[in-house]
Amino acid sequence: MGLRKETIEGILWSIPYLAVFTVFLVWPAVKGLYMSLHTYPNKFDLTETEWVGLQNYVELFQDPVFYNAMEGTLLFVAVSVPALVILGLVMALGVNRDVTGKRTLRAIYFSPYVLTVAVVALVWGQVYSQSYGLINYYLGLVMENPPGWLTSPDLVMASLAFMTVWWLVGFNFVIFLAARQSIPERLYEAARLDGATGWRAFKDITLPQMRNSVVFVVMVQFILQFQVFAQPYIMTQGGPSNSSDTLVYYLYRSAFSQQQFGYGAAMGYVLVAILILIAVVNFKVIGDSNA
Amino acid sequence: MPESTQSRSVSAYLSGDAVRSALLHVFLYGLAFLMAVPYLYTISRSFQPNELLRDPRPYWIPPLVGEPITLEHYQYLLDNTLVVQWTINTFIIAGGATILIVAIDSMIAFSLTRLDWPGQGAVMGIILASFMVPYYMNIVPLYQIVSNLGLINSYWGVIMPAAASPLGVFLLYQFFRDIPVEYEEAARLDGFSTFQVYTRIILPLAKPILSALALFMFVYNWNAFLWPLLVLSSETAYTLPIGLVNLYQGNIDTPGLHMAVAILGSLPLFVIYLIFQGQIVRAVQMQGATG
Repeated sequence: MGLRKETIEGILWSIPYLAVFTVFLVWPAVKGLYMSLHTYPNKFDLTETEWVGLQNYVELFQDPVFYNAMEGTLLFVAVSVPALVILGLVMALGVNRDVTGKRTLRAIYFSPYVLTVAVVALVWGQVYSQSYGLINYYLGLVMENPPGWLTSPDLVMASLAFMTVWWLVGFNFVIFLAARQSIPERLYEAARLDGATGWRAFKDITLPQMRNSVVFVVMVQFILQFQVFAQPYIMTQGGPSNSSDTLVYYLYRSAFSQQQFGYGAAMGYVLVAILILIAVVNFKVIGDSNA
Repeated sequence: MPESTQSRSVSAYLSGDAVRSALLHVFLYGLAFLMAVPYLYTISRSFQPNELLRDPRPYWIPPLVGEPITLEHYQYLLDNTLVVQWTINTFIIAGGATILIVAIDSMIAFSLTRLDWPGQGAVMGIILASFMVPYYMNIVPLYQIVSNLGLINSYWGVIMPAAASPLGVFLLYQFFRDIPVEYEEAARLDGFSTFQVYTRIILPLAKPILSALALFMFVYNWNAFLWPLLVLSSETAYTLPIGLVNLYQGNIDTPGLHMAVAILGSLPLFVIYLIFQGQIVRAVQMQGATG
């Protein structure tokens, strides 16, 4: 007996996506493992490979530039992710109340999200500029020497993170708003009869009911912000004195400026390992706690 | 007597809900204003002549002496750069990717939910697992694959990897799965072929989610940065984000130009956002609900 008609049809309908998926997602993931175990001695002929085993990984873990990039990345994540989540939540809970002009507020809060990172960087490069920037003009009216937001090694990552919050907070806001609006109002009515309002209602009803969205948003933001690249690439080129270098930016430089493809591929794998670890920790910490 | 009652109720009213509501409005609109400041700044400075721009004071409303408003920055961009070409390129890439994604994702989602064949579960499992692969981990091997396929500096080199994204498959899978089987059975009894079930039953029913997915993918691919930066090497093939950054890095001290670039670069997508706000927001919210 041959294949059923429906089986053949099912496979045929799946093939277009599966082909693209296999060639451009699965295959690179597999090939990356192979590349990370090799070096490419000839920059002009990438078919020439040399097996080096785990050497790329060993080198990576002894590489001070890698640790510096890791530090920059972690600093960026530590500022941007909590701010993105908390501000998004505050905005959503605020707009959910009885406010006039909800649609306008939602449109404004979400709007930076549709800008390309290139535009965000251009605009904020001006806002942060030391000589003619918007912030430092007003700061200059009240203080002697306003700081250089992108030129001070201590501030540059926080500045890039702040700008990123402006750019992306609308995404979280919109998700939280939908989650808040789907909480049945009767839960609050019941709580009010028990005398639970304000903070207690938030803690006992709002937060537990929104748990899934909070887990989702925290997860997405960790994974996205950990891969920060364009902001330092466009605005600071990792400077001043390498203080805004990040992992993906270093990966990009290793592979595409210095053409160390094996090293870059190994870094990609280490990045995934870190992200999986973060995801697992996230699930353990915020996923289970209120179950 | 009535007077005192009235004054008491007024003060109670003021101290309670009204004050809270007023504070809430001040907070939410203040936030909206702060978020809009970079826009206002960008717009006003893009129209100012260089004399004003060299003055550190941010003229929100240009003084009326001399040349208050100028179009020179816009004029310069249109005459001396490829900004129009880049916009067309971005339309082709984002539009092409969107059409391809909607077509192949809806086909496989249809196959996985409405047709019955062995191995469906495994296929869906693999697609779901690929969510864990962060995009940037793959860039080094992906670059080699795209390069081996001869797709460097071509639209397809940007479009095909974008089409491998599993997000759309996942969203459509969830939606298609919940369409009642009765519609389909009735259509089959009327002699509909599988293709007709797909085009005349499933696709029309899924129109809201298809348009939301399409808009989200369009915005996402319009704004993509790292991958087009790697693949598109000649200036005439750049997308807007890449072109803007190139311009920026070539002209570091021309604030008026930067701001005009930012406006021209975000205008097309902003118009689309204003028209289709609802659907784009819905696409984001669906991610939050299903993720």
